Amino acid sequence: MPAARKMRKPDIKMVILGDMNVGKTSLLHRYTERSFKDTLSTVGGAFFLKQWGPYNISIWDTAGREQFHGLGSMYCRGASAIILTYDVTNWQSLVQLEECFLSLTDSANSDCIFAVVGNKVDLTDSYAQVETSKDVGPEESGISAAPSCAAPPHTPTIHKQVHQEDAMALYNRIIVYKALNEGTSPLAEKMCFETSAKTGYNVDSLFETLFELVLPSIIQKQARAKSPTVCLEEYEEKARKRKPDCCT
Amino acid sequence: MSVKAFELVSAVEREQLMGEKVRITIECIECCGQHLYVGTNDCFIYHFLLEERTTTKGRLAYSSQKLLQKYLGLKKPVAELKAASALERLIVLCDATIALVDMVTLEPVPSGGAKLKGVTAFCINENPVTADPFCAEMAVVSARRRAVQICTVHEDRVQMLKEVATPEQPCTLSVDGYFLCLALPTQYMILNYSTGASQDLFPYDSEERKPIVKRIGREEFLLAAPGGLGMFASAEGISQRAPVSWSESVIGAAVCFPYVVALDEGFVTVHSMLDQQLKQTLSFREGHILQDFEGKVVLASTKAVYVLVPLPLEQQIQDLLAGHRVEEALTLTEGAQRNIPKDKFQILHKRILQQAGFIQFGQLQFSEAKEHFRKGQLDVRELISLYPLLLPASSSFTRCHPPLHEFADLNHLAQGDQEKVQRCKRFLISYLREVRSSESANGFREDVDTALLKLYAEIGHESLLDLLASDNACLLADSAPWLEKHNRYFALGLLYHYNGQDSSALQMWVRVVNGDLQDSTRADLFEYVVDFLSFCSNLDLVWKYADWALQKDQKIGVQIFTKRPISKETTGQLNPDEVIKYLEKHHQALVLYLEHLVLERRLQKEKYHTHLAVLYADRVLGLLSRPSATVEQLSSAREKLQRLLRESSLYRVQLLLGKLQESEVLLTERATLHGKLEEHDKALHILVHQLKNSTAAEDYCTWASEDHDPAHRQKLFHQLLSVYLDPDVPGGAQTMEAVDLLNRHADVFDAVQVLELLPEAWSLTLLRPFLCGALRANIHARRTSQVALGLARAENLQLHHDRLKYRGGPVFVSEKRGCQLCHNTFREPDCVCLPGGTPIHTHCAAQRLQDSPTKRRLDHGHTSNHT
Repeated sequence: MPAARKMRKPDIKMVILGDMNVGKTSLLHRYTERSFKDTLSTVGGAFFLKQWGPYNISIWDTAGREQFHGLGSMYCRGASAIILTYDVTNWQSLVQLEECFLSLTDSANSDCIFAVVGNKVDLTDSYAQVETSKDVGPEESGISAAPSCAAPPHTPTIHKQVHQEDAMALYNRIIVYKALNEGTSPLAEKMCFETSAKTGYNVDSLFETLFELVLPSIIQKQARAKSPTVCLEEYEEKARKRKPDCCT
Repeated sequence: MSVKAFELVSAVEREQLMGEKVRITIECIECCGQHLYVGTNDCFIYHFLLEERTTTKGRLAYSSQKLLQKYLGLKKPVAELKAASALERLIVLCDATIALVDMVTLEPVPSGGAKLKGVTAFCINENPVTADPFCAEMAVVSARRRAVQICTVHEDRVQMLKEVATPEQPCTLSVDGYFLCLALPTQYMILNYSTGASQDLFPYDSEERKPIVKRIGREEFLLAAPGGLGMFASAEGISQRAPVSWSESVIGAAVCFPYVVALDEGFVTVHSMLDQQLKQTLSFREGHILQDFEGKVVLASTKAVYVLVPLPLEQQIQDLLAGHRVEEALTLTEGAQRNIPKDKFQILHKRILQQAGFIQFGQLQFSEAKEHFRKGQLDVRELISLYPLLLPASSSFTRCHPPLHEFADLNHLAQGDQEKVQRCKRFLISYLREVRSSESANGFREDVDTALLKLYAEIGHESLLDLLASDNACLLADSAPWLEKHNRYFALGLLYHYNGQDSSALQMWVRVVNGDLQDSTRADLFEYVVDFLSFCSNLDLVWKYADWALQKDQKIGVQIFTKRPISKETTGQLNPDEVIKYLEKHHQALVLYLEHLVLERRLQKEKYHTHLAVLYADRVLGLLSRPSATVEQLSSAREKLQRLLRESSLYRVQLLLGKLQESEVLLTERATLHGKLEEHDKALHILVHQLKNSTAAEDYCTWASEDHDPAHRQKLFHQLLSVYLDPDVPGGAQTMEAVDLLNRHADVFDAVQVLELLPEAWSLTLLRPFLCGALRANIHARRTSQVALGLARAENLQLHHDRLKYRGGPVFVSEKRGCQLCHNTFREPDCVCLPGGTPIHTHCAAQRLQDSPTKRRLDHGHTSNHT
């Protein structure tokens, strides 16, 4: 974990939840290391600090094993965004999200943003099988998957058990469960993703969409935390940035 | 994966405690400075003095001396011991009761205040909220009560401050400030005993596994979690570090930054808090207790006590580096920053960064290596010294000791792989360039620049010349043989020049131009040398090599003189006379040089102009006498001559006239020369009658009158007209030419005079353009002058008006008006004006002047004003 070396305080927290073997660690690994490798079952949890512009975002990867479910609410405490992950080839993994994991998110921030992500789509849809090095635009990510899956030459190796409509229905139930305002919450079309950690399909789009959405919350948090403690490091940085201004 | 972070050292051996008594076991320990207290299951407290010493092998060892042992008089085990060193009290939990004993004598201290009975666990607040240094804060859990009691311990009493209710009976606890971290039978929770606010952490089955709650720092706790995890939790109930993975059977945990040490049935495991990785495993059977006391990790089996001695950080880091685990080494170094004094840390950190850089360099990971070298402020010579022969012989550099890397030199590193060597060299080039452009090369620029020069020379890099042409500190003595070895003679010349040895530079270049040495850097080296000489301030050198250059190519060689910059300074300037004298034997160069003096620099010296004109004339005459000369050669030679003759007025006309007199061909030139002598009739005669070129004649008139007034011009044209009309020449008057002349230049002629001259017989139609033109010109001249006259008058009037305006109004004098001085009226218009325009009699003014002789001088200015 070389990136965690810089012990900067994270500005905001994101948590990846989901049943075991849906590919949470692989998703994070694909996004941070741009590659796919076989991962071992995560023990407890791990986190990664992502430098996004001037902000530090900590992304927590949790363990999917039931044994560790109890820790989930602690990881979620103070989270600004939660990625609920399921496996498109496994209907049970979607059911688990609602039955086990949703209640763990009670400790997250009240304005927490949710994303429902179906991973391993490369196994069921041929369009996700191409190794994507370049980013897929976020507009395409949401709706395009379900209707267009009939069009391309279908070579599914495994039957797709979860369709995107099901994920969107779950998302809408989450909004209701959280008693969030349906008008202000992001739409299901925008927040339901189908990804492949193996090929990288839609992965960047997922994380970057979330980063964009949590940005107001970061700013709000920083404004609130006009803390009584003076951060010397920060001040120096600011001063360094300002210097050229006053000189010119 | 493993690092040796700790070493297990025996502190108290079995014999010192219970000897051969099998059933007696250690129940609890407390360590306070050098004092070690051990509580046993047979109600004894042992007091040892623990002395640290270093063995001859440099290892840390402990020797313990039993000071005292005390039986507490109960048949129960001593469950817990905590020292309150400021009070010199030991807090003892035995038989579910808390008692105080003296730290030195181990005698019970009669304590007043609250009696604490039925206690199952307690803990001391290491981050106390009260300001009193002579009291310890304690949180106590009692059996049968769903509550935690907050007490203060004083020298002679225990005082209960508060009781906070808990949802269930706590099993164990820890406290920091106002935050209690509790292990309840089914879960962990945080409870703020000041506000009562609580925060559930996560579920945990205490029946199944013994819970662990360990304060590890300000508002942060370490908890045993399901699945053998060590979870970190802050007082807000947030996990700020990823968990560490212990075994399911973990018994105890301690923190010794940056490590978390855990004890299970067979092993002691060491995890890093920085990256959560397992770093070390020590086999330890029958482990019973693991606790840290002020940074000292103490481990006990049922029979003996050990200390886990952390190995010096530096050694750990060096071990990691030796295993090429760069990232881990840096993580450890940076993680340990807060435990090391700042200045020491900086030195250590720099060194580790440098070592890390060299490891990555050895793996050819150049970008990472560069970054670490830069951050570690590496003395760049360390890197240069890896490359054989790059550092100058004179360099005082010696490699740092202990060495930063394991390589003898580049060949050792590359193991004979030339591709690797080349890649390393390319890296060094890019690195040295960056070093040069930053400030970090200060103090050893010579070494850096010389090394860079050598690298460039070796691979034939184009930047070699840029380096030498710009500001550099390359050492001549060291670089010259290297450049010669690689046939970079041109570059060597540049280096000589940079070091002020122009003669050596020229010598080198001349040998290359002559083909004695081979260096194809510059195809135009000869031109370069000429250019160099033209700027060279050492005149001896210029003279020395001028001959060589001129012999090689006069046209280019002469640029030594012609391209020489002209400055006001007299030093380093060449005297043109000397140059001319020198160039006598190089005819072509001489002409070019004179052209430079006369035509470009426009020197106004008769000598040069005449010399050039004579050379031109000689050339033309030479060509004329040679039948093989082409028309083009001749016309271009004449063109040059003609232009000089026309445009210069400094050459000796008579001399040239004499030279050209014989030639029957050079009529134009002769006419021009006559024109220079103001002998216009001769000139016109040649042009009209000998050359028979009326256009040339007209051009002559225009040229010859160029710098004169219109009258002179008119005179010349009249002269030409009369030449045309002259009937006394063979062939008679040239009527057609005369008519053409008149018609073309109607405005130049005085029409009246012309009409008188012209023969009566000429028809009007013939002269129509002339007459029209002349008439038009005259009328135009008249009207123009009328307009000018009108304008001049208007201007005059305007000035008149202005003058009156500035003078002021009229002075009124009438018969009724009195003089200011005598008050008589004026009889005649003559008056004198006082300043301000008051009129007085002239005689009054005269009278006044006479009356006041003193005033006269003072008023002199005023009186002289009168008009």
